[in-house]
Amino acid sequence: MHREPGERRDFLPSFVAALDAAGAEGIVAEKGYGSGMAIDESEYSAASSKLVFRDRVDCLAQEAVMQVRCMDEEDLEMLRPGTALLTMLHYTTRPDRVRRLAELRISGISLDGLIDDRGRRVIENLAAVADNGMEAAFDELAETHPAFDDPGRAPLRVTVLGSGAVGSHAVRAASRYGDHRRRDALAAAGVKGVEVVVVDYDLTGHESYMRTLLSATDMLVDATQRRDSTSHVIPNRWLADLPGHAVVLDLSADPYNFSVTPPIVKGIEGLPQGDLDQFVFHPDDSAYGGLDPRISTEHRRVALSCYSWPGRKPRECMEIYGAQLEPFLDVLINKPADAWDTNSSSPYERALARAEISRWLEARTS
Amino acid sequence: MGQEPEERRDFLPSLAHHVANLGLEVMVESGLGARMGYSDRDYFDASDRVRIVDRDTVLAQDVVLVLRSPDDRFELMRPGATLVSMLHFPTRVQRYRRLKELGIEAVSLDLIVDDNNRRLVENMEAVAWNGLEAGFEALAQTYPGFRTHHRAPIRVTIMGAGMVGKHAVESATKYGSLDRARALSGFPGVEVTVLGRNLTANENYLRERLRVTDLLVDAAYRSDSSRPLVRNEWIDDLPAHAVICDLSVDPYLLDASPPTVRGIEGIPQGSLKQYVFYPDDPNWRVTIPHGVAALSRRTTASCYSWPGIHPRACMHRYEEQLLPLLEVLFATGGAGRLRADGGHFERALYGASTRAWVALSVPGKVAKSSGKVANSG
Repeated sequence: MHREPGERRDFLPSFVAALDAAGAEGIVAEKGYGSGMAIDESEYSAASSKLVFRDRVDCLAQEAVMQVRCMDEEDLEMLRPGTALLTMLHYTTRPDRVRRLAELRISGISLDGLIDDRGRRVIENLAAVADNGMEAAFDELAETHPAFDDPGRAPLRVTVLGSGAVGSHAVRAASRYGDHRRRDALAAAGVKGVEVVVVDYDLTGHESYMRTLLSATDMLVDATQRRDSTSHVIPNRWLADLPGHAVVLDLSADPYNFSVTPPIVKGIEGLPQGDLDQFVFHPDDSAYGGLDPRISTEHRRVALSCYSWPGRKPRECMEIYGAQLEPFLDVLINKPADAWDTNSSSPYERALARAEISRWLEARTS
Repeated sequence: MGQEPEERRDFLPSLAHHVANLGLEVMVESGLGARMGYSDRDYFDASDRVRIVDRDTVLAQDVVLVLRSPDDRFELMRPGATLVSMLHFPTRVQRYRRLKELGIEAVSLDLIVDDNNRRLVENMEAVAWNGLEAGFEALAQTYPGFRTHHRAPIRVTIMGAGMVGKHAVESATKYGSLDRARALSGFPGVEVTVLGRNLTANENYLRERLRVTDLLVDAAYRSDSSRPLVRNEWIDDLPAHAVICDLSVDPYLLDASPPTVRGIEGIPQGSLKQYVFYPDDPNWRVTIPHGVAALSRRTTASCYSWPGIHPRACMHRYEEQLLPLLEVLFATGGAGRLRADGGHFERALYGASTRAWVALSVPGKVAKSSGKVANSG
C-alpha cells in the first residue's frame, strides 16, 4: 500500500512477533509486505504462526489496519465503518482527511498524535528527520560550496530556524555534517567544522537581523513548528540574501494546501514539496513550475524537501517505530477504542485516547 | 534516604498511590519527602495499602525503591530481594560487587535503556533548563542592557551538541524559563550558537567566539577529560558581564590517571546549596584544587545535580518514566525473574540488572554480559 516507489517502509517481523505476543487473534499482511526492505515473507511467517498473506482488499477489510503512512482516498473508502486505522494522520494540517474519516465513520488513531502527558510525541523518529535530511543537504553543499573541504575556509555556518524537537536534533546533526564519517574525515584533514546558529520565533520576525544572518549562512534549515501555518517565516525575497552556493533544507514537512482558507504554506516560501522519489531540487528544476502561482519562487537555491526524511532509511526507521509502539499493543488489542479513557491510570491508554480522532475533535472544539 | 544535606529529592506520594493501585503493600520510610514539604500523612493518605515504617523495615521488603543508593545498609536487605536505585555500575565497581556478594538482585535506574540505547529514566532536560535558568538569572544581574529593547540579541554559545547540549539549545532560546520568555516577549531574543568538538578544539576560532558571547555554556562530552576546552586565561576574552553556565558537572580529579579537569578551567564546582558564584565569591577556590589556574573569572553557575534544584518536578518526571517499568517488574516477580528476551520494558530492565552485568578482570571495570562496555554512568 505504498504511495510511491521510494516509500519502502513496512513493520518488521519483530513487530509481528510483538503483535502475536500481545494477543492478536489473527494478523493479515499484504502480499509482498516488507519486500521494499528485502524482507522475505518467510521471515514474517517465522515471527508468528497467526500471520497470513492476503491481497490489499482483504487487508483493508480487517477490524484494525496499521501502516506508517496514511493511505490514499481510494483505499480509505474501502475500509469498513468502525475500522480502527492506526497511521500517521496529521490531524492539524490535513483537515480534509479528518473530515473524510469522520464521514466514513473510521476510528482514526494518529501515530503522530500519540503524545505523552507533557505533550511530547511518543511515536517519532525526529533524530532521523534531522540526520537523514542533514546528510543529504551536506552532500549537496559539498558540491555547491567552492571550498567545502579546504582547510583554509572559515567554519561552515548553518542557520537553524526553530529550537524545538526537530531543531534540537538538527543542531546535533549539523555539527557532524549530517554524517560522523564526513566529520571525522574533514577533521583529520584539518578543515574547520560547523558553526550552528539557532534562532527561534522571537528573532525570525526581525527582518534586518535575519537578512544579515542569511547573508552569512551556508545552509538554512527550516525546523520550525509554527503556531500559524498560514504565513511564511522566511519570505522568498529574503532568500536573495543567501550566498549563491547556499543550500536550503526543509525538515518541517509542512505541505502546501490551497484548498483551505487561508491556505497552508511552507515556512520558507518558494520551496517545492519533495518526497522519497525526489528530495533535491536545483534552481532550474521543473518542480518549481508546478507550484501554485500564489507562491513566489523568484529567488532559488539548491533546496531539499521530503515529506518523510526517516523513510530514506526504512529498516532503521521501522525498528524505532516498532519499539515505540510495542508498549501500546496490549491496550490496542485487548481494549476497544471506544472504551479508552483519557484519565486512565495507564499512560498508554491515555495517549491512545488522546490520539483517537473523535476525542481529538472533541478536545479541539471544547 | 537523601544523603547530602541539600539533597531534597525523594519519591512522591503519587508514586506510592500508583504502586499501591497495582495491588501491592507499600512501606514508606517515615520522614520521606520531608525536605520537599511532604508529611508522613501525605504518603499515608495516598492509599489504604500504604504503611509508614522505619528505614530498616523498608529495607527488609521484597522490592526496595530508593533514588540514591543505600550503600551502607545493603546488609539489611534480604538475599533475592530487588533493589531499584541509581547504582552506576560502570563507575561504582565496589558497589556492584557488594550487591552480588549479598545476592541482591539490583536494577540500576541510570542503566535502563531501550533497544536503541536511549535512557528510559533520565532528566537531561532538567539539567539544561535548570542550569540555564540559573545562568540567565545571573546574566540579568550582570548585563546592564538585559531588559532594554534596544539591545542586540543575547548571544549564547553552547559547547557540545550531545544530549544535554540539545536540550540546552531549546532552553537557551527561551531564556532558561518559559515564564521569563513570556515576560521578555517583544524584546530582541536570543541567538544560540552551538559548537561541536571540531570547533572547540580551534583556539583562534574559540577565542574570537568568546569575545561576542554573553552566556557561555559547557555541555560538552569530552573525549579527553584531562584537558580543558577553555583555558583559564581565555576567560578574559569574554565580556565583563558574561556568565558561564556549567552543565557538564565533570569534577576535578587531579589524582586520577589520567587526571580529570573541568571543561572550563578555573571555575568552581557548585552544589545544591550554592550554584551561583560571582568573581569575588569567598568560596570560589574551595572546590578548585591547588595548582589549577583560577585568576580569570566570570560569574559562574555550576551544580553537580541540576535536576535537584526543582526536586518535585524532577521526581514527577522520574515517576512518569518509572511507572510502566515498575508495573512490569512487579508483574514478573522481581529482578531475579526478568528475561533478556521479554517485552520492551522487561528487556530494558533486564539490561540494567546485576544479572546482565559482569565484573571484568580489568580493575575498575564492569561490563554488560554481552561483553560490551557500557558508556553510561
